[in-house]
Amino acid sequence: MSAPTVSFESTRPADRRGKRRLVPARQPAPQPRPVLAKAALVLAGAGLGAVTAVTITTETASQLHAAGGLATFVGSLTGMVGTYLALLMVLLVSRIPAIERVLGQDGLLRWHRWLAPWPISLLTAHAVFITVGYAQAARAGLWHQAGVLLGSYPDVLIATIGLAIMCLIGVISIRAIRSRLRREAWWLVHLYMYLALALAFAHVIVLGPAFVGHPLTRLVWSVAWAGTAGLVICYRFGLPVVRSLRHRLVVAEVRPEGPGVVSVICSGRNLDKLAVAGGQFLSWRFLTRGSWWQAHPYSLSALPQPPYLRLTVKAVGDHSASLAHLRPGTKVMVEGPYGAFTRHAQVRPKALLVAAGIGVTALRSLLEDLPRNSAPVVLLRASRPEDLVLGKEVTELVRHRRGQLHELVGSREQAAVDEWSLPRLVPDLHRRDVFVCGPEGFVASIVDVARNLGVPDEAIHHEAFAL
Amino acid sequence: MKRAPWYLAVGAIAGFAGVLGLTGRTAAPAASASKGQGSGTQGGQQGTGSGGAAPASTGQPAQATAPGGVHTASGALEQYGYGELSVKVTANGNKITNVTVPTLRTAEQYSQQLASQVIPMLKSQVLAADSARINGVSGATYTSQAYAMSLQAALDKLHIR
Repeated sequence: MSAPTVSFESTRPADRRGKRRLVPARQPAPQPRPVLAKAALVLAGAGLGAVTAVTITTETASQLHAAGGLATFVGSLTGMVGTYLALLMVLLVSRIPAIERVLGQDGLLRWHRWLAPWPISLLTAHAVFITVGYAQAARAGLWHQAGVLLGSYPDVLIATIGLAIMCLIGVISIRAIRSRLRREAWWLVHLYMYLALALAFAHVIVLGPAFVGHPLTRLVWSVAWAGTAGLVICYRFGLPVVRSLRHRLVVAEVRPEGPGVVSVICSGRNLDKLAVAGGQFLSWRFLTRGSWWQAHPYSLSALPQPPYLRLTVKAVGDHSASLAHLRPGTKVMVEGPYGAFTRHAQVRPKALLVAAGIGVTALRSLLEDLPRNSAPVVLLRASRPEDLVLGKEVTELVRHRRGQLHELVGSREQAAVDEWSLPRLVPDLHRRDVFVCGPEGFVASIVDVARNLGVPDEAIHHEAFAL
Repeated sequence: MKRAPWYLAVGAIAGFAGVLGLTGRTAAPAASASKGQGSGTQGGQQGTGSGGAAPASTGQPAQATAPGGVHTASGALEQYGYGELSVKVTANGNKITNVTVPTLRTAEQYSQQLASQVIPMLKSQVLAADSARINGVSGATYTSQAYAMSLQAALDKLHIR
């Protein structure tokens, strides 16, 4: 198959001659609306308050004073709050576009990870406290009571199975254990969380003190969960399928860019309607026999040039290494575009873009999205000169925007970006947003340096590539 | 996002206060509604003793000894597996005319729900048998036993059988 040679040159001949571009206008990426994220936060808080209040108000003094009443009350409170937090965790990864655009997928995942231990431990506490409370009320042994609960209370058995699944997933998500698992295996097991939550749903409605005899509460709770399930189905499954069918991407060409780095150029239809901002990424699913079931996030290394789309990938894992062997014609499904690492995040007049290694991909497309004469300063860091991939394109884009490019090549000591060197390279740092992209350690160090030099948090934007 | 905890906190307080406000407004009608049902099984949580028993029985001293006339007595508070209850019985002569449960305390809602389903059945068994010798309700053995015990104690006070 002869692949077309696609040019992703930053400046096309038409530009050089100063003529108007003939390329049709691309669909601009929607503007992030921070107020929506704030509203979502207030709503999430309101839900937490309401859940707590509902649990407390259904408790009567006489129930609390009966034998086992206190333990039972603590059990229902931990159960309700834990279940609600689990709902929030699902919402955090449901890819609601309006929220994702503001906080970015890595921001949402960070919250998801931060929140994760809470529902699991609260729900475990719920099971323990309820068993203790009922055992006290029945003046029975703990194990006997556990048997009674599992055997004769409606839906408790399947909810317990759900809790066991949840705890198992919690255990394998502990960093030390997770790092020994393959990412895909962990992710697949992780999906069983949806099953665990579904199994637990019935016993809450049937037995929960806040729901028994309260049809309105029951209705609101069911609608909240059905709505969440709807959002997940719509944005995690429906929208990607619709987008993939609309654009019908296929691999057009695989091109080596440097040591272990390849660009994959995909062709597709209606790419002028794909609303993507520079710096964003998509989750890519290449429909080959071995890897159709895995989706991996890779940044676009250029804005779409209909009918082409380009991603550039460094071989660091099995999947990224396999991309070098993709055959032209391979079908591609995508999820996204995702990410808040875009020019919309900018709060100061100018920008400083910093990238290390393969982080240059997101920087390259972000740079392309910056207006002319925006005078960006670009810092590229690499250990070896040949690792500076896409260097020519970046040079051209920087020149075109009347910016400055600094290439720092060498070991971390020789070519350090620190509190001492950064102000010399970028004297007007106080007027610039800092965009950092690269491996986690590099991103963390640059964020620290920028903070120490007085750049406020809202002007620091980063996208870390987790391996 | 900056100040995220504040947005959450504001929402939480609003949600909490909102639910409290709503339940506060609906609590009063709900309570009066359950009293109005009059079978004496639902309103009895607070142990007030009135419960909606037959109007003829109220105000009577508990330990009437003479046969004939309407008499009322309460049984002992019986502990059972999932809570405690007491039974109040009204008799006209030797005939049991009404049974109510003025006190019903359970630690959790499920037992409460179960008890309120079972108590009307037990009541009809008692009225049919005209004694405390009832079969009880399967699946609610402890509740049935406690009910029968308390009922027997009440009948003993009235010197009926």
